Amino acid sequence: MSVITSSAQTETPSLAKRLGANLQTYGLIGAIILIWLFFTFTTGGIFLSARNISFLFRQMSITGIMSVGMLLVIVTGNIDLSVGRLAGFVSVIVAMCQMQLWPRLIPQLFPGQDPLDFVIVTTLLSVVIGLVVGTLFGIYQGYIIAHLRVPAFIVTLGGLWALQGAILIVTGGQTISARQEAFLSIANGYLPTWAGALLAAGVTVFLFASMVLTRRRKLKYGFELPSMVLDVLKTGVFAAAFVFYVYVVNQYNGVQSPVLILAIVAMVVNYVSNNTRFGRYAYAIGGNREAARLSGVNIRNNLFMIFVLMGFLCGVAGVVLASYVGGGTPAAGTGMELDVIAACILGGASTLGGEGTILGAMIGALIMATLTNGLQLMNIPNEWQYLIKALVLILAVYADVRLRRNR
Amino acid sequence: MPPVSIPAGRACRDNFGEFGKQGLPDEQQRARRRKPSVHIKDTQFMSDNANEIILDIKNVTKRFPGVTALNDVSFQIRRGEIHGLCGENGAGKSTLMKILCGVYPFGSYEGSILYNGRELQLEGSSIRQAIKEGIAIVYQELTLVGNMTVGENIYLGKEPVENGAINWEKLYSGTQNILTKYRLDIQPQALIKRMGVGKQQMTEIAKALSEDAQVLILDEPTSALSEAEIDKLMEILSTLKEHGVTCIYITHKIGEFFRIADSITVMRDGKIVTTEPTQALSSEKLVSLMVGRAMKERFPKGNRHPGDVIFEVENLHALPPEHTDREVLKGVTFDLRKGEILGIAGLMGSGRTELVMTLFGEYGKITQGTVKLEGRQLSIRNSREAMMQGISLVPEDRKRHGLILIQTILKNISLPNLDQFSSWMQIDAEAELNASNQFAKSLAIKTPTLQAKVDSLSGGNQQKVVISKWLMSRPKILIMDDPTRGIDVGAKYEIYKLMNDLAEQGISIIMISSELEEVLGMSDRIMVMCEGHSAGTLDIADATEEKIMALATGVAALSAGANADASTTVSSIA
Repeated sequence: MSVITSSAQTETPSLAKRLGANLQTYGLIGAIILIWLFFTFTTGGIFLSARNISFLFRQMSITGIMSVGMLLVIVTGNIDLSVGRLAGFVSVIVAMCQMQLWPRLIPQLFPGQDPLDFVIVTTLLSVVIGLVVGTLFGIYQGYIIAHLRVPAFIVTLGGLWALQGAILIVTGGQTISARQEAFLSIANGYLPTWAGALLAAGVTVFLFASMVLTRRRKLKYGFELPSMVLDVLKTGVFAAAFVFYVYVVNQYNGVQSPVLILAIVAMVVNYVSNNTRFGRYAYAIGGNREAARLSGVNIRNNLFMIFVLMGFLCGVAGVVLASYVGGGTPAAGTGMELDVIAACILGGASTLGGEGTILGAMIGALIMATLTNGLQLMNIPNEWQYLIKALVLILAVYADVRLRRNR
Repeated sequence: MPPVSIPAGRACRDNFGEFGKQGLPDEQQRARRRKPSVHIKDTQFMSDNANEIILDIKNVTKRFPGVTALNDVSFQIRRGEIHGLCGENGAGKSTLMKILCGVYPFGSYEGSILYNGRELQLEGSSIRQAIKEGIAIVYQELTLVGNMTVGENIYLGKEPVENGAINWEKLYSGTQNILTKYRLDIQPQALIKRMGVGKQQMTEIAKALSEDAQVLILDEPTSALSEAEIDKLMEILSTLKEHGVTCIYITHKIGEFFRIADSITVMRDGKIVTTEPTQALSSEKLVSLMVGRAMKERFPKGNRHPGDVIFEVENLHALPPEHTDREVLKGVTFDLRKGEILGIAGLMGSGRTELVMTLFGEYGKITQGTVKLEGRQLSIRNSREAMMQGISLVPEDRKRHGLILIQTILKNISLPNLDQFSSWMQIDAEAELNASNQFAKSLAIKTPTLQAKVDSLSGGNQQKVVISKWLMSRPKILIMDDPTRGIDVGAKYEIYKLMNDLAEQGISIIMISSELEEVLGMSDRIMVMCEGHSAGTLDIADATEEKIMALATGVAALSAGANADASTTVSSIA
């Protein structure tokens, strides 16, 4: 180890070093901006139209919700291959409830009354059932992985196949459509524009308030403060991005409901992963499982809960999926896990575990959705879309590996 | 330079030990030597070649941003000698070795290095090139593939291929040749992961030699070896010397220099302090040159007054976690008093680590026997329960079991202790920072900030992080498994002082160590393990190296807890 003299202990790290810690995140943001500019240019501006941005963010919400759960799974050094099909299965179940369960049950329980009177309640119940189904599957997989110690890769691969079969059994190969207005509004609804504006204002205030509070706390503990200019700039950029987003979507119809769901989910899980013991243990398990075990971390419980959470979030995603599509299709959710995993990895999660952030996963999900959307707008055929996505993913991870080596 | 004369019959290094610089009279030497005496002819060969300088390091300076790792370093290494390199962590030893191995290529440093008379010009990231040139290094952490055999590892990357397929006969016969030539006692077909650390290391050395290494650098080779294996290593190095291989020997165990090295270079803070023949130096002088100050004693005097017995283990039997009927603990009995340091000695494989891991709840299954803390019987199923009861374990392998290297110091220290400052909803970040800071300061962890990643710290500081983490859980009993392994002299002293302080405060310490000097220097009592059971406990007043070894090898047996002279009872232990 190099000699660190006592004077070096009070030396402020260079600017590059300070930024370097967040270089990855900034790099991602830079990448998104570049990609957006690229597509704006190649689509003659259509990409940046309010309608398209609204559509884009709505499209990313389903994989986004699953990415939030997947990030924690990857952080512990595991993987879940069943998420796409689980969301699909949930969407099918929910559609079934809407189309087949309630219409039969209500007349039996409440004869003489118009089923449509119960629409809100039944929709809510369908949602709850969807969440429960997802969670139950998560419990099942979590138990086998955490308590029976079967590798997650195998368990979730098996889960993927099992769900595939289950979907076909339940749907009989047919699409079950579910188009009640209340139900559709889950994924296709909007926040009124004034509410959106209020939200934008609220978030801005919140961001600046936490910046001030963090600075005050650092001062209290004798940490040297980053320059005020840099802090304001950083907070300002995030706030501005959010305000810009609200502004743009308000032009169209307002903040989309599934994006709201995604935002809430992401913020809650982000808080948990950063500020609770549960989150801390997850990172420890991924960072060095043996050391975590010998430090009193209950690995079984932690892993179990992470897969239960994943199942729950697949339930959420499945509900949104059903609402978005207007029913449950036999092919629902096929291949989504790849987008979800790619989003997490693009966002900086390490395949070995122990590293990764929710924010990164969100940006990764946005990049994946952008690619899909932009390429579609450019009328590039489906086959080529796959290739280009693969190329982007590999280049991005390669760049990350190089950066890490030189750090 | 006048030829260095090597007296007849002393072509290989002998264990001078306590007999001083002159060495034993020739008669006794020949009797002690385990090999046949060397002919005059060979000695002459040695003394002619001893003239040649194989490595001439001239004014080498290596700078990093903010730090000068090597500052105008100059010294010479003679062909065929065993050259010791000595210095605290941070002195610049590994930087210099990295230059020799090609990690830092020619051009990334100032000054010049002449190898066999020619300038050493290694290209970037060209460890392969250095190996081709004949410079090989055997690291402290072994780089073998556990699932492969000795032969496969030695020929890894250069398997003899014929018509696209590996010629296994050639591979294994080549392996046997190397092993025979250098008198390495391992089977070419043996699987690495089934071998003890000592033999694994022999494989590493064989691997280096298979590339016709002229210079073999050994970095802390004995940190994981038992005394018997260390003796074996010394023999091997003597054999290498006979074959004209030059060795650079880096270690923190001062005594080893006097067993094996011909000359020693001392480094401090990136500079050369001196290069002298071993005969001109002594342990004390070496240590004071290393640290720049005289160190009165290696082991600080403690002021401990052990109290009553608080921990009792009686007739403990345990099975290992793998499905097998062979017990790993076959009857361990000992007790521990409040505020005492109990040393646990024993050969490698005697079950010391398994014992403490079992007590900690993270290894194997107890089938028989009792464990009592303060009179209450304990049943500990995992590390969490052990912690709750007040037992903490600083593991043997700090990088694999004690630390999460990619995380910060702060997070490492607080990990087992998060309950102290969290509700189920939130970790109180400020309380966490405060508490961790407190411990980091009281252990004097050298770091600019707690947010630094642990893998950037030196071995000694990493060990302090592990200790801090367990001190924060306020243990009654602190178990330390080989706590000063791979740590330089200065940091070792700090840890010894820390142990004394903790014991004085009433914490009982169980210390496993493979260094007999350490066990004798620090313990109040010594429990010796032999082949899975406790062979006996010695009071420090009566303990000697011989008694410990007698118990550890099963030559003598003591009834549990009794103090007896080891030589009086001789019985065979299975």
